[in-house]
Amino acid sequence: MKVAEKVEPVIKENEVDWDKCLAAYYEKPKSSLTWSGLDVKEVYTPEDLPPEKYKDVGDPGQYPFTRGIHRNMFRGRYWTRREVIGMGSPQDTHDRSKVLVDEGGSGLNTIADVPYEMGLDADHPWAENEVGLTGVCITNMYDMETMTADIPLDKVSWSLITASTVAAVTMAQYAAVAKKRGYDLKKLRGTVQNDPVHFRYCGFRPACPLDLSVKMGADVMEFCTKEMPLWYYTTINLYDLREQGVTAPQEVAFGFLIARLYIDEMIHRGHKVDDFAQRFAFYVSCHIDIFEEVSKIRAARRIWAKLMKEHYGTQKLSSQQFRFAVHTAGCSLVPQQPLNNIVRIAYQALAAVLGGVQSLHCCSYDEPVCLPTENGHTQALRTQQILAYETGVTNVADPLGGSYYIEKLTDKLEKEIYKVMEEVENMGGMAEAIRSEWLDRIFEKEALSRQKELDNRDKILVGVNMFTTEQETTTPLGVQRIAKASVKKQIEMVKKLKKERNQTLWKEKILALKAAAERRENVITYMIEATEAGATTGEMMGAVRLAFGYPYDPIEIIEAPF
Amino acid sequence: MSDINVEEWAQKVRENDRRAAAKLISAIERKEKIARAVLKHIYVPVGKVVVLGVTGSAGAGKSCLVSCLISALRKKGKTVGVIAVDPSSPFTGGAFLGDRLRMQVHGRDKGVYIRSMASRGYLGGLARSTVDAMHVMEAMGHDVVIVETVGTGQDEIDVARLVQTCILILTPTMGDDIQAMKAGIMEVAQIAVLNKADMPGKEKAILDLEVALRMRPVTEDGWAVPVVPTIATTGKGISEVVDRIEEHQAHIRKDDGLKKFAFQKAEKEGSVLIKDEIERVIFDHIRGTGLRRRYLDMIVAGKIDPYTAAEEVMSLFIKKSKNDA
Amino acid sequence: MSKSKIQESKNRKIKVLVSKVGLDGHERGAKVVCNLLKEAGMEVVYLGLYQMPKDVIDAAIDEDADVIGPSFLSGEHLVYTPLIVEEMKKAGLDDVLLVVGGVIPPEDIPTLKKMGVDEVFSAGSLTERIVTYIRNNVRR
Repeated sequence: MKVAEKVEPVIKENEVDWDKCLAAYYEKPKSSLTWSGLDVKEVYTPEDLPPEKYKDVGDPGQYPFTRGIHRNMFRGRYWTRREVIGMGSPQDTHDRSKVLVDEGGSGLNTIADVPYEMGLDADHPWAENEVGLTGVCITNMYDMETMTADIPLDKVSWSLITASTVAAVTMAQYAAVAKKRGYDLKKLRGTVQNDPVHFRYCGFRPACPLDLSVKMGADVMEFCTKEMPLWYYTTINLYDLREQGVTAPQEVAFGFLIARLYIDEMIHRGHKVDDFAQRFAFYVSCHIDIFEEVSKIRAARRIWAKLMKEHYGTQKLSSQQFRFAVHTAGCSLVPQQPLNNIVRIAYQALAAVLGGVQSLHCCSYDEPVCLPTENGHTQALRTQQILAYETGVTNVADPLGGSYYIEKLTDKLEKEIYKVMEEVENMGGMAEAIRSEWLDRIFEKEALSRQKELDNRDKILVGVNMFTTEQETTTPLGVQRIAKASVKKQIEMVKKLKKERNQTLWKEKILALKAAAERRENVITYMIEATEAGATTGEMMGAVRLAFGYPYDPIEIIEAPF
Repeated sequence: MSDINVEEWAQKVRENDRRAAAKLISAIERKEKIARAVLKHIYVPVGKVVVLGVTGSAGAGKSCLVSCLISALRKKGKTVGVIAVDPSSPFTGGAFLGDRLRMQVHGRDKGVYIRSMASRGYLGGLARSTVDAMHVMEAMGHDVVIVETVGTGQDEIDVARLVQTCILILTPTMGDDIQAMKAGIMEVAQIAVLNKADMPGKEKAILDLEVALRMRPVTEDGWAVPVVPTIATTGKGISEVVDRIEEHQAHIRKDDGLKKFAFQKAEKEGSVLIKDEIERVIFDHIRGTGLRRRYLDMIVAGKIDPYTAAEEVMSLFIKKSKNDA
Repeated sequence: MSKSKIQESKNRKIKVLVSKVGLDGHERGAKVVCNLLKEAGMEVVYLGLYQMPKDVIDAAIDEDADVIGPSFLSGEHLVYTPLIVEEMKKAGLDDVLLVVGGVIPPEDIPTLKKMGVDEVFSAGSLTERIVTYIRNNVRR
């Protein structure tokens, strides 16, 4: 009988590295710091949370609101599912908005493009190449009418994301359209971002000089407090600050100090804080360290409540509540292995909900690559819906409250936030920090540190510095392109309307606006009238800029037509 | 540009051809032999062009001030050439050349030419490149040339000695720095600017400055250094600075002051160049002979002291030249 | 034009011109890259915001740059890149390396290269890749 021949195993290429597998079995995390670099213990026990501590924490709905601004949080009302939309022409934006509402969105959320935020008309020589690329450009009343056409303004909550000084124009344009359609402004619900001070750090310095930013920001606040009491006249933008690469404590500290610039201006104008603070809101980031983000939000609520009560002396609870929307962190997403971003976004949305958010936007996974495709947008909405309807996290208010770790981490973040705030106060306050460019240097320094962390693998980003694969050549759900034809149509319409409007009436209203700005009055009602007379964004902003000694055109390419 | 001949290159530079000038400065930075050849052709006698130096520590607001000066000069119809020097990292050798950013408003003005340079300063007189670049700017036909450097190293002090009017910029927060700077740059500046004059401590700073300036030896030409407060970000005080510059320029040019002034500059630059040349020739001569290494080994072994070694090398060189001749 | 690699040394540094083009104001990435290239031993001029293609090319000539690096974060890369390439051709800058960075869909990378871009580095690129590429491909 023949003995079976010994068969040599075939050594294939790409053989699995079993040593690596064993090492992975025993692997432990390299770092035990939070994302922002805070040191935390291996485990927290009742020693870390003595019962007396609860006095500082409070129930949800009770000062200082650590656990949430409402007693029953989501049982009382889900957070608003608002996906940010802005693309192409007002018509394109309008259409996509309707799609998302159809798919279950519970609020509208439209964002301005770069030319609009800069205060340029769609037909400005520099704007023509970029209209509609990252948002919607509203140049005149007609554009605003197109974007809001056949949408019942009294039945929706509309968030208008214009952050720069142009927020005043946006408010005026929206109000003008609402009036024309016969709505009572006092009954309208919505938000306008309106945080021009911070927006200089997002590349809009020419449009947001400090003095004009504070003035326009406060003008919108004043106008809304008086004429649109249900409207949130600001969402102080902490998100953009975080996107610069700063840590969680810095995000809150800098944001709160910027918020105070507006409040102080309102006080300077003779308003009582309790009369307007109910509609003060914030726009916060949620990054990937879940527990740190939840604790950050809880700490922010506590700090804001104390600030409003102890520093500003407010009496009403509603003046002391930290109301916020969350935008999941765009800077945490990467183009490599893009579907991974869906997972990141889901964790970040979870943190937002565990933190007690009022309104949520989930990034679309293709954020690092392009504007959201319709499918990408829908996917983001689904992320919210799965969270809301399937996971059960909405059953209980502040479910992480009472966790030895979370309460300790909340305290830690509160301390760190106060530290940063003190540092800024010691150098002369926020206005000085901005003027002296101290803040610019902080942003540069932090941005560089974040990149170095990646290069050195101090922080791991799956797909970027670990578990990398071949570079992608396509985007899973395709790339969202802007329909050039529809933008071109918008630009032509803008030019046409400029020629066809009643030039006498227009000139009268624009000059009235300029004069009001020169008298340092609140400009919003003048802007509404000017809008109704056919004035455009660029013209109205230009009029105010001239009144404040700035060039008509922020880019200094064109001259005033009046 | 290496295909092009030296005269053509020089002519292009004289005709204000920016590409030719930019490449010449690159060649200078790379220490290419052809750079020296072209420089010979384009050298402009001292005083034909107004040459200003602006120096001071990082954060003092130099670039902002230079930008204001450019605006003021342009309003008077003058064309301007600017060499903006930023420090090279001593660790990596790289540099972030960010001065130009502060002068962005002049980017499209064809009457203003800005060329950024890294100091590449390690040890010993490497400010040569900056001075050579300054000569390129002088040759191009600009009315005014501004050289902006960081005034903390010996190199920058050398540059400061070679411009006509040197402006030193300080700020009220630099209290202790004024003491540290006393040695060197303070002796060289013709105009002291106290920028960020809206900051607290302005009065004391001006006093400190005036005291420090009075302590320096009176310059032979009798020029008293003025202190001008400015706020460069708003342009406040700039016209005073321009007036002082004009005064100083008039001062050095009055009577035959320019000849005397040019002589001093020629002395400074000329002697350095001649010394460099002597050094270069001698080292070229003994390169490859192992002579230098031999003598260094002998010094280390205690067989000879360095003073004698130097004299012996020199006599060897003289003997060799006589033999070769 | 000979493609011999540049011998970086004490006297020969790679000069890079980084710029934002158009209205886009996201400069965090551009500034980070400037600092990283500096730490890799290169000399970097940052032109800043609101530059038009011609401004970038003019500055590249004035500074004798070896590399031009525009940064795009708002989807405008397909609009401005051909203009930049055209200006480079007009000015005779064929030996200058053109490297684009920012938010670029992978589908657009072949398009950009066909237009004349030498390499694209999207957001999230590790420093090492950018530095190595420039070192190995600078042409002058």
